[in-house]
Formats: sequence, C-alpha cells, structure tokens
Amino acid sequence: MWKYTLRRILATLPTLLTVITVCYLMLHMTPGGPFDSERKVSAAVLANLQAKYHLDLPLWQQYLFYLNNLLHGDLGASFRYADWSVNDLVAKALPVSLLIGGLSMLIAVIAGVLLGIWAALRQNSWVDHTLMVFCNIGGSVPSFVIGPLLVTVFALWLHWLPSGGWNEGEWRFVVLPVTLLAVINLSTVGRVMRGSLIEVLSSTFILAARAKGLPVSTIVLRHALRPALIPVVSVLGPLAISSITAAVVTETWFSLPGLGKLIVNGASNRDYTLVLGLVVLVTFVAVLLNLLVDLAYALLDPKIRY
Amino acid sequence: MPYSIPKSAIEIAPPPRSPWLDARQRFMRNRAAVISLAIMVMIALVCLVGPWLSPHAYDDTDWNQMGIGPTWDHWHLFGTDELGRDLLVRTLIGGRISLTVGVLATLVSVLLGVAWGSVAGFVGGKIDAFMMRIVDILYAIPYLLIAIMMVTILGRDFYLVVLTISAFSWMDMARVVRGQTLSIKSKEYIEAARAIGVPTYRIIFSHVVPNLLGIVVIYTSITVPGVILTESVLSFLGLGVQEPMTSWGVLIHDGANVMESSPWMIWFPGAALTLTLYCANFLGDGMRDALDPKTR
Amino acid sequence: MTVSMNRFVWAFFCIFATAWSLAAQVPNGVELAAKQELVRSNGSEPETLDPASAESVGANQITRDLFEGLTATTTSGQTVPGVAVSWKQTNPTAWVFTLRKDAKFSNGDPITAEDFVYGWRRYLDPKTASPYATTLAPFILNGMDVAEGKKPLSELGVKALAKDQLEVKTPFPVAFLLDLLSNTQFAPINKAVVDKFGKDWTKPGNMVGNGAYVMKEWRVNSAVVLEKNPHYWDAKSVVLNKVSYLSIEDATADVKMFQSGDTDYVQGLPPGSYEQFKKSHPTDIKNGPMLGLRFYALNNKDPLFKDVRVRKALSMVIDRDTLASKVTADGQIPAYGVIVRGVNGAEVTAYDWAAWPMEKRVEEAKKLLAAAGVKPGTKINFTYNTDQYHKKMAIFAASEWKTKLGLETEMENMEFKVLLKKRHDGEFQIARHGWIADYNDATTFLTLVQCDSDANDNKNCNRKAEDLINQGNQALDPAKRKALLTSAAKLVMEDYPMIPLLQYTLPRLIKSYVGGYFESNPMDRFRSKDLYLIKH
Repeated sequence: MWKYTLRRILATLPTLLTVITVCYLMLHMTPGGPFDSERKVSAAVLANLQAKYHLDLPLWQQYLFYLNNLLHGDLGASFRYADWSVNDLVAKALPVSLLIGGLSMLIAVIAGVLLGIWAALRQNSWVDHTLMVFCNIGGSVPSFVIGPLLVTVFALWLHWLPSGGWNEGEWRFVVLPVTLLAVINLSTVGRVMRGSLIEVLSSTFILAARAKGLPVSTIVLRHALRPALIPVVSVLGPLAISSITAAVVTETWFSLPGLGKLIVNGASNRDYTLVLGLVVLVTFVAVLLNLLVDLAYALLDPKIRY
Repeated sequence: MPYSIPKSAIEIAPPPRSPWLDARQRFMRNRAAVISLAIMVMIALVCLVGPWLSPHAYDDTDWNQMGIGPTWDHWHLFGTDELGRDLLVRTLIGGRISLTVGVLATLVSVLLGVAWGSVAGFVGGKIDAFMMRIVDILYAIPYLLIAIMMVTILGRDFYLVVLTISAFSWMDMARVVRGQTLSIKSKEYIEAARAIGVPTYRIIFSHVVPNLLGIVVIYTSITVPGVILTESVLSFLGLGVQEPMTSWGVLIHDGANVMESSPWMIWFPGAALTLTLYCANFLGDGMRDALDPKTR
Repeated sequence: MTVSMNRFVWAFFCIFATAWSLAAQVPNGVELAAKQELVRSNGSEPETLDPASAESVGANQITRDLFEGLTATTTSGQTVPGVAVSWKQTNPTAWVFTLRKDAKFSNGDPITAEDFVYGWRRYLDPKTASPYATTLAPFILNGMDVAEGKKPLSELGVKALAKDQLEVKTPFPVAFLLDLLSNTQFAPINKAVVDKFGKDWTKPGNMVGNGAYVMKEWRVNSAVVLEKNPHYWDAKSVVLNKVSYLSIEDATADVKMFQSGDTDYVQGLPPGSYEQFKKSHPTDIKNGPMLGLRFYALNNKDPLFKDVRVRKALSMVIDRDTLASKVTADGQIPAYGVIVRGVNGAEVTAYDWAAWPMEKRVEEAKKLLAAAGVKPGTKINFTYNTDQYHKKMAIFAASEWKTKLGLETEMENMEFKVLLKKRHDGEFQIARHGWIADYNDATTFLTLVQCDSDANDNKNCNRKAEDLINQGNQALDPAKRKALLTSAAKLVMEDYPMIPLLQYTLPRLIKSYVGGYFESNPMDRFRSKDLYLIKH
C-alpha cells in the first residue's frame, strides 16, 4: 500500500503539468485580456504593462518562465491585484475555505451517515420518508435560496448572527456559511448512505448474521457499515473538493474571502497568474483527496488491494 | 425405470416471471415513488402544453403591469415579473428548458460516467491510473474557463449548453462507479465468469454494470438537480439560455434578489423546481429499491 | 495679469475662504455618538491602493482617505484647498500653488513641493504602468508624451519653485484644473518610503500617505481598516476615528448586512429595489444625480447602421420617460444628448423631437426607416454584459423597437471583458455602454464621440465638431468655451452616433445617524473626514 501511495504521489507531477498546460492555453485563448478596461489604455502603457508581466514574450517562453518560477515556489504576481503576489492571495484564502469547507463536510458526513442508517433500517416507513424529505432540502432547493432564507431568519429576524463578513474566523461569522454548505452536502451523503446500506443489508452474510441472532446494532456497525460506506466515501472526494475550492455561492452571499470567489473573479478578470496559481492548489487538493478516498477503499474492503 | 418429471409438476410450476415485472411490482409498493412519478409526469405535461393554452407569450412585456402579485385580472395567476411578463407562462417555458437540460445532460453524463468508471475500475492497473488521472485533471480546471471557452469557440446553441454541463457532471459519476466496481470486481460471480472465459467487455457490461445500477440510479437523481442548477449559474454568467428565453434556475436566481419585495417571483418557480427535484429524488430511491435484485 | 484674471483669483480666494472651514462641519446642536467608527461596504475588492494606479471607484474611495492632493472635494461636491493653501494663475496655462507649512506625511515627514513632483512623475511614468495614466495626462504639459515614453520625466509640466511653491503648466487653458487635481493620482508620494519597500510599499505597516487616515489593516477580499492620521494637518476636525471598508460583491448581500446592522453604509443597491427601499427605509435612502451617462453605442461602420436615418429612428422611438420612471425607477434623468446635467463646460443639449408626443415620433421614425430601405422584420443584434440592470433596460429597448418599428432584436449577453473587446474591435451592431466622468468638465463626455478618440467605440467622426472642440479648448473666456463646446456637442449628436438614454444617479442606503453626506456630489467623491456619527 505504501508503494501505491508513493506511486500516486509521484503521478501528481504529470497531472499537475498537464493541468497547468491546459489551463494556460485556455486562458490565453479566451477572448479578452487582463488589461482590457473601459478606459482604453494607450499603446505605450499597454506595452509597459505587458513588459512588466512578461506578456510580450512568445507564449512558450512565458510558459517556461512560469514553470521555472513555480519550481521555486513562486506563483507570480497577480495582474489584477497589483499589490499582492499570488502566493499572498492564495495563502490568505486557503484557511478560510479549509475552515468552512472542512467543518461543513464533517457535519454533513456525521449527520448524513446517521440519518442514512436510520432511514435504511426503517425502509419505506414514514420515518424513512420524513428523514429523506429533510435530507433532500439541500439537494432540491438551490443554495442561492437557502442562503438568503438563513440570513433572513437568523440575522434579520432573530438577530442572533451576523448576515455576512469574516472577522478573521470569529465563530459567529462561521455558523451560517457552514450551515448552508452542510445542508447542501448532507443531502448527497444521506441518500447515498441510505441506498448503499439497504443494498448491503440484503446480502447473504447479513442474513447469516441475522440467523445467528446478532443484535441490529452489531449487525449494522460491525458487518454492514464497512462495505456500505464505499459509495459514501467515493462521494466524499468530489464533495470535499467542491466545498473547499468551489463554494462560490456561499462565499459571495456571505462575503467570505475564500478560494471559490478568487477563482471566479480571477477568470473574469483574466488574471492569468492568479487562476493558474489556484489551479495548482486545486490540483493538489483534488489529488490528495482522491488518494485518501482510494486508500479508504482499501481500509473498508479487504478484497480491494493495490 | 428412467426418471421422468410428472406432468402435474410442470403444470403446477408457476410461469417464468421477468425481472422487470418484479421490479415494477416492487416499485408500485413504494407509495412515495409512485406519487412522485405521477407528479413529475404531470409537471412535464403542463410545461409542454401549458404555454400553448396561455393568453400570454413568454416574452410579452407589459409596462403597465410590472411587478404585480398573483391576480385574476389579465390571467396573471402567478403575477408578473419586473418587466410585466406573465410569470405563469415563463415558469412553464422555463420548465421546458430545465427539464430538457436536466434529462439530456444527465443522460450524457451518466452514460459517459458509467462507461468510464466501470472500465477503469475493472481493468485496473495502468489504464485505471491513466483514466483516473484524466478525471483528476478535469476536476482541477475551473469550470468557468471551460464554459467561456466553449461558448466562444462553439457558439451558443442550446445543445452546447447541454454539452458544456455534461462536461462537468460526468466525473463524479465516474468516480463513484469506479469505487463500486472495485468492490464488485472481487466477488465470486465475477470470478466465476472469468473462469468460464467470458470476455472482459462482456463481464463489464453484463455482470458489473447491472450490479452498479443501484448506486448509479441514486447518483443520477443527485446529478439532476446539480445539472439544473449549473445551468442557472451558466445562464447567469451569460453562457446559457439567452433572454428572453428563461429556465427555472434563471427565474429563481432573479427572484432571490427581490425576495422581499416580490416574493411570488421566487415562490412559484422555486416551488416548481423543488417539487420536481424532490420527486426526482424519491423516484430515484424508489427505482433503486425496485431494481435491486436482492430485495424480494 | 488682466482684469479678468484678477477677478478669477479673487473668486477663488473667496470660495476657498468659506469652504476652508467645511471639513466635517458638524452643525450646531448635533450630539455626536460616543463611538465614532464607520463600517461601510465598498463593492468588490480594490485592485490596488497605490494612488497612481487606482482605477476603480472602490479603490479611489479608499485612496481619497489615505492621500490628499493639492485640492480636495468635499461631500457636497465643492473643490476646496487640500495640501495647497492658496494658488494663483500666472498665465492661462500656468499655475503656482503655495503649500501649507504644517502638511506632513503619516510618518511625520514634512511635505514639500518635491514630493508632488515625484508623485506626479511616478504617476505618469511608463514604468509604473498606471492604467489610468492617459486619462488625466493630457491636461498637464507634456503629460501624454511622458506617459507614452516619448519624453523624459523631467519634461513634465510640474516644477518645485521652492520648498512650498509648486508650478504647474498645462498644454492649453484647463478651466477645471482645480477639480482635476483633487484626484489622488496627483497626490504627493514619499520617495524614501517607495524606495525602501519597493512593490510592498502599499502594504499595511509600510504605507505612508498624507490623508486624514492611515491604513491599519488590509484583509484581502474582506476589509480595509483605516484609522485617524494624527499627523494630518486638519486632524482636529476629523471626527471618525476608524473606517472599515468591507469588500462585498453581491448587492443583495450588502443590503442584508445593512439591515442586520453590520454595516452603516451601502455602496450600491440591487437593481430594481430603489422604490421598495424608498418605502421601507425613508430616512436611510439617499439618491442624487451623478455625472455619468447610460447609452447604447452604435457601430457607425456597420452596413445596417451606416445610414443616419436608421440610427435616428432607433433613438427616436425609445420612451425614455417610461424607462426612467417605470423600468429603472431609481430617479434617473432621461438624456437626449451626450452632455449630462451638472457638468461644467457645456450646456445640456436635447433633440427637437424630444418634446414631440410619442405617436409623432414613431410616425417619423417609420418614415425614416422606410426611406432608408429597412423593412419590418429586420434583425438587429444587441450585445450587453451580464447584469440584471442592463438586461432590464435592454429588454425594454428591444420591445420598443419591436412594437413600434417591427424590428427583431437578437440579444446577446456576455462577460464584461468579452463585451469590451467586441466593442473596441467594432464587432457589434448595438452595444450597451456607460460612461462615468473622470473630472467635472464636458470634455470627459465629448471624448465619447470625438474623431480618433480611444473612448469612441461608435467610430463616428464629425470634423466640424472636432474643430469647435479644439477651438473651445484654446478659448480663454469660460463663457466662450462653454458656447463652443455646447454647439460642438449639439452638432455631433445630430449625426446620431449613439443613443443616449439616462443619466446615472447614486441610490444608496445610509443609516440616518451618519451625518455629513450630501446628495449633491455629482462626482461621487466622498471623504471619510467629512462624515460623523450622530448619537443614536
């Protein structure tokens, strides 16, 4: 397994290179440049701006220049936010997204697994249906509706929590965004857990366990849960990735300085270095999380071997 | 004396039943799923036929009836939007777009995702690694960039919207399917099939995939809302349906901004979408339960 | 000096003598709140806080608190002395400013004329590559040449005559120079600080400015927090101790934070919500006209729009009154020309048909289209950038063209940068456009329709009007200049190069306990030093 892990980590490099190259080409092929603005910049100033950011070099040279900097850990200077380097921007946004995304995933997993198990054990009863209605709120109501509702109820009517902002992660500002993301993620986790557990519960080895007269809790926790968790774990990978790197609606609505907003703004502003820097980060996060998921498979199912 | 089966035994034996009949019976037992199916069919019919019956066209602006709530005059049963366009008709037209996009994009991403994931998971080794690296790569690329590029290069045909959305939705399915395949791969019946020399592609498509159906069905009904919401985000960014055409996602997004002053603008399309998605979820769960060969 | 010059100078002395005491003028009897800390939204994250490169409204809002130029603008829109305590115009194209003796940077360094020279040169230096350089450069002698690298920095028309005397030369008489110089692009910069920190000089802790406030914290994408500058020459009349500018991108989220009490000041309202807030927050709602024009650019080189009759017809049938009162409903004024109300240097011009009843206009427009050979059912293409507000206006315009002229409009929305590129490259038929004044003078709007202007996406050219504008710029008598520019504006608009629609306004929500805000600030230039919190 360690050999597998090592191989996967090494495989990150070609993945990273491919991603950077593809994004790089896409950014430069997209119409509009970082310095297009309402007030047309004069040719001389444009030439200077391009020289400052090496945009006047042929594409392949810029590319190599970028890779060289990357190897030294320098993600470059942001085009749009002239006072900050990409390293600065990414470093400031990452903890925010990790906190919000991570917390919401934790809550969603715990709640989703518990609710899913409960619903599966009471399949087709009114308990099952009620739990699923609750779980599915996040999957049926768009986030840009749940967000405003949460704010209206908790911030405007009850005045318990602020309606947005980020005071360096003070807990009051964290509650609502985490709730929003958790509710959204909960629906996926809950439903997958329920469906998967129902399937496992009808296997022969569970039948054997029942025949042996084992109590339900033992059957579920010791025997059924591990194989049932495999699809749940598969789903956790993409959910975690998107909660951390793509929670744009949550971040925009609650004005959080996170990664999702940064990527979207970077793409809109054609801030090449910022987008590429974020892509590098997202690739690392994606690769890491997918690796963890794959390793988790091996833990859950002894027959899966690498 | 040679053993012969008594005629009566053959007559007594019940006629062979198709597994689909079994599935249908199980499905019918799940009341929530049946109700959901009925509701969804009704919604689809109303969206299809409704606009033809309405006295308003979806792009008829009426500057004297701007932003009024639901009322019987002029048959503005759902009220009007801020440009005086009838919300009922727009909700129905939007339904057509959202449902079509939902179905098409989900179909594409399911087919692609299942094929990709099952092959990668089953074959394993270097091919698995390569295929999953491609998935990793696609995860890392910001979808906004892909969307802008695709629209700029390929134009804004409706089918392109569908294609763009499917391009971002198939990866999750692929990963989930691969995970499940890894687990199925080591089961006895697969071993048996291999032992008798069934070719790989047949094992995958006749033995692995049918056993994946449960999780695929669930994940499909998770993909549908995602697809519809992605379409609304794309339209909001100018990359999806163009004015005056609309979709539920666009209507809800516009409605969310004026929730306090004109709540009907979000209530009606929001209710339509939520109802449809809830039904899709229950339908998905019901189908999963029905198609599970082990639930008797 | 001629007699008119004397009068000129005296006029200014009088104005600034009274205006001088206007900084944070708290009316008598108003009780101030104990905690003088303002929290306000500022739209999206500022792209930079380097005053030379700050281009967006949000960035300039903050730099106006951190830096101060020779002159400044109060919240009521008046130009008052800043670092310069007095000035005189020695000839039509030269001014001498006397700096105040007690002006200091936030690190205690005294401000000298050399700091201004350094700041201005740095602003226009091609190496600084400020995207805003060529907008204000034409008004300083050799400014454009310096910005384009054709002349060395030393040739720029600014010179330190003495430690507290600064001479400014302009290439032609610039009547609005004082208003222009209140832009923080013309602020003094402390050379030692920039040399020491280089690119990082704008970071909190390093930055040294001369404004009423200093930067305490800069949390990227979250907030910029400013604190009172003890070294500011007018520190005693600065009431607010702390100002927090929050980066809030979504206007609806902005309003929610205002409603929940987390902010005191909303930068911009969500589209279509003005009427609603006027009813629900009558004491907090603020509005006032701004020097900005909403219009639709027409591609004058497009085969369909080459004919002036087609352009005229399209412009005639749009009911701007309904557009202003019902569709946008936020107090905007219909515009029938390129000059907006409140701008100095030219009169507002309107078309003669603006007063006709709509039926007459439609009839005339139909005749024009028929004469030009455009049949009903012709398709026209309209491009705009994705935004609720623009969408609403566009749908209105499209429906006007359809119901009144039978033209089918194909609407194409796209990302802002893509729209900009298409407009600049002439790949459009009709495109949404908007222009906010960079300084309070008619020429900022005239560039939209001048020949060979970078800001002219219509690609129209009227040589006669161009001549009038050049003559106007050379004129010494302000009244003569105004007349010339007004006739130039009227003349060029008779070509119907674009369709003017509405004049911008500034609808905002500001808590009633925030004092010092005036709705008559057409350039939207506010300084936190003029605001104060009333006891509530």
